[in-house]
Amino acid sequence: MLERALNAFWILLGAGAAWHAWTLGLTGASGPESGLFPLLAAFIVMGAGLVLLSKAPLNPRLPRGAALRRVAGVVIGLAVMAAALPYAGFAVSGAVTMLVLLRTAGSSGWVESVMLSLASVATVIWIFGHLLGMILPRGPWGW
Amino acid sequence: MDPIGGLLGGFAVILTAQNLYLCLIGSVIGTLVGVLPGLGPLAALALLLPVTFTLPPVGGMVMLCSIFYGAMYGGSTTSVLLNIPGEAASVVTCLDGHQMARQGRAGAALGIAAMGSFIAGTIGVIVMTFFAPLIAAVAIRFGPPENFALMVLGLVCTLFMITGSTLKGVLMVALGFLFAAVGLDVVNGKERFTFGSVNLGAGIDLLSVVIGLFGLSEVLANVESLTKSSVLAERIRGLWPTLADWKAAWRPMLRGSGLGFLLGLVPGGGPVTASFMSYMLEKRISSHPERFGKGAVEGVAGPESANNAAVAGSIIPVLSLGIPGNPVTALLLGALIIQGVQPGPLFMTQRPELFWGIVASMYIGNVLLLVLNLPLVGLWAQLLRVPYRVLFPVVLLLCVVGSYSANKNVFDLWVMLAFGAGGYLLRKLEYDLAPFVIAFVLAPLLEQSLRQALVMSPDGAMILLQRPVTALLLAASAVLVALMLRRKNSPLGGGSP
Repeated sequence: MLERALNAFWILLGAGAAWHAWTLGLTGASGPESGLFPLLAAFIVMGAGLVLLSKAPLNPRLPRGAALRRVAGVVIGLAVMAAALPYAGFAVSGAVTMLVLLRTAGSSGWVESVMLSLASVATVIWIFGHLLGMILPRGPWGW
Repeated sequence: MDPIGGLLGGFAVILTAQNLYLCLIGSVIGTLVGVLPGLGPLAALALLLPVTFTLPPVGGMVMLCSIFYGAMYGGSTTSVLLNIPGEAASVVTCLDGHQMARQGRAGAALGIAAMGSFIAGTIGVIVMTFFAPLIAAVAIRFGPPENFALMVLGLVCTLFMITGSTLKGVLMVALGFLFAAVGLDVVNGKERFTFGSVNLGAGIDLLSVVIGLFGLSEVLANVESLTKSSVLAERIRGLWPTLADWKAAWRPMLRGSGLGFLLGLVPGGGPVTASFMSYMLEKRISSHPERFGKGAVEGVAGPESANNAAVAGSIIPVLSLGIPGNPVTALLLGALIIQGVQPGPLFMTQRPELFWGIVASMYIGNVLLLVLNLPLVGLWAQLLRVPYRVLFPVVLLLCVVGSYSANKNVFDLWVMLAFGAGGYLLRKLEYDLAPFVIAFVLAPLLEQSLRQALVMSPDGAMILLQRPVTALLLAASAVLVALMLRRKNSPLGGGSP
C-alpha cells in the first residue's frame, strides 16, 4: 500500500514537473532553454513511477508501537525545534528539545536528561559558536 | 607537472602548524565517526562542512579528506569489539574480526585492521600521486561534449554498481536532477520550480539534503530499534600482529590494496564495494574457505586494506575529472565548489598547492591514524560504552547546527527534516540514496556541459556522436545499460522492485 502510494506520487510529481518545465521553454534561438533538462528528468521520474506501479509492491517492516513513537517523537521534536528556533534561540530550543527526546525516545531519567541536555547544548555552543565562530540563532534574551 | 616536484610542493604547503592541526583534528573526528555506530563519514562531513568555510581551501579540504579516511580506520574497532559496523565499509570486518575477538584475539584483529589500513592507504596515495596527473593530462583536452559524456558514464557506472533495484536507482538520479534544478538557471538566470519563494530562489542547499538523507534518516532508523549492545569487556592485548598473522595477512593486504584502489576509481564503487569484493576474493582463492566467518585473519586484512585503498582511488576522479563516484566524494566536490574551486582537468595546473596539499596530507594522515588507532584503541573502545539513547540527541543537535550554519536560514532546517523523513521512508522501500546525491551534485555541471555542447554544434545532438572520445564514452555507457537490461528479473529491475 505504502509503495503503491509512493509510486503514484512519483507519477504525479513527474507530471507536475514536466508541465512546469514545459512552461519554461525547451529550445530557443541560443539553443536549449531552461526547461529541457528538467523535462527529461521529469519524464524519467514519471516513467519509472509507472513501471514500478505495475510491479508487485514490497511489504516493508514499518515501525509499530514504541518504535513508531520514538521515530515520530524525533521528527516532531525536530519540527518543534525548527519552529521555535527563530524565537527562542538555539540554546533554549535545543535544550528543551533534547530534554524531551531523552525523556521520551531515549527513556532516560529526569536528572540524567536535564544534565545531559544542558551539558550537550553548552558544549555545542562552545565548540561551534565560540571556538569555530559560527553564528547560532539567539533568543530575545541575547543567547 | 612532475609528480615528485608537485608532491614536495604539497608537503611544503601542508607542513604548517595550522594544516597539521587540521589534519589531526580531521583524523580524530574521522576515527570517532568510524567508531561510533549510527554516524557515518558522509553525515560527519556534511555536519562539519560549514566549519571549513571559515578556513582556507587547503586547510578545509585536508580536514574533510582526513575525516573520510579516518572513518575507514575507526570503523573496524566497532566491528571487532561490538559486531556492529561503525560505518558501512566495515560490515564484512564483523564476520571474522568479531570472531577473532571472541577467541581472545581482539588485539590481533585490531592490529591487523590498523596495519592493513595503513599499508593500503599509503599504497593508494602513492599510486594516486603518479596516476592522477596522467588522468588530468588526458582530460585537459576535453570540451563540453566529452565532459557531458564522462558524467553520463559516471552516473551509469553508479547505477550499474548499486545493490537492489536499478529502476529505483534511475528514479533517484532523475529526482536528483529535478531537485538540483530548483532555483535560478545558471545559464540565463531564469527561475525554475521556485513558485515565487525567496527561499527556493537560491536552490536547495546540498548540506541540508545530505544531513537529512544520511544523518537524520540514519538516526530515525537507529531509534526505531534501540537495543543494548555489549562491548567485549576484556583488556585488549597483543595489538602487534604475530609472525603467523603477518604471513597470513600480507598477501590479502596487497590484493586488497590493488582491488580497493581500482574499485575506488570506478563511479559507484568506493570503500563499501571494495571491502565486500575483497572478502569474496579472499574466500574464493583461499585453500581453507571454511575458516572464513570463524576468525580468519585474511577476512580482516583484505577488506580493511581494500576500503582504505578505495578512498585514495575514489578521490582521483573528483580532483582530476570533477566526477564524484560516491556520495562522500560528491560532498567533497560540493565543498570545493562552495570554496570557489572547480575541480577537473585544469585543477592541478590552476591550483597545484591545493591538489598536492591534499595528496601530501593523505600521507601524513595515514601515519597519524596509525598512531591514533593502535595505542589509543582502548580509548576508542571506551567510547563504545556510550549508549545510543544518549548519543542520538547530540547527533540531532549537530544536524541542526550543520544545516542552519551554512546559510543562517531556518528554512534549511525544514529541508533537512523533509529529506530526513523522506530518506527514512525510501530506505524502508529499498531505495539506494547514493545516486540521488551524486546526481544532485552533478546536475548543474551536466546540464551546463550538455547545453554548451548543443550550442557549439551546428548539427545539434549529433555532436555527441561525431567526437570520438564522446562517442566512445557514450558507447561504454550504452554497453553498461545493455548489461543492466540483461540482468535477471530486469527490464531495469535488478532484483526486487
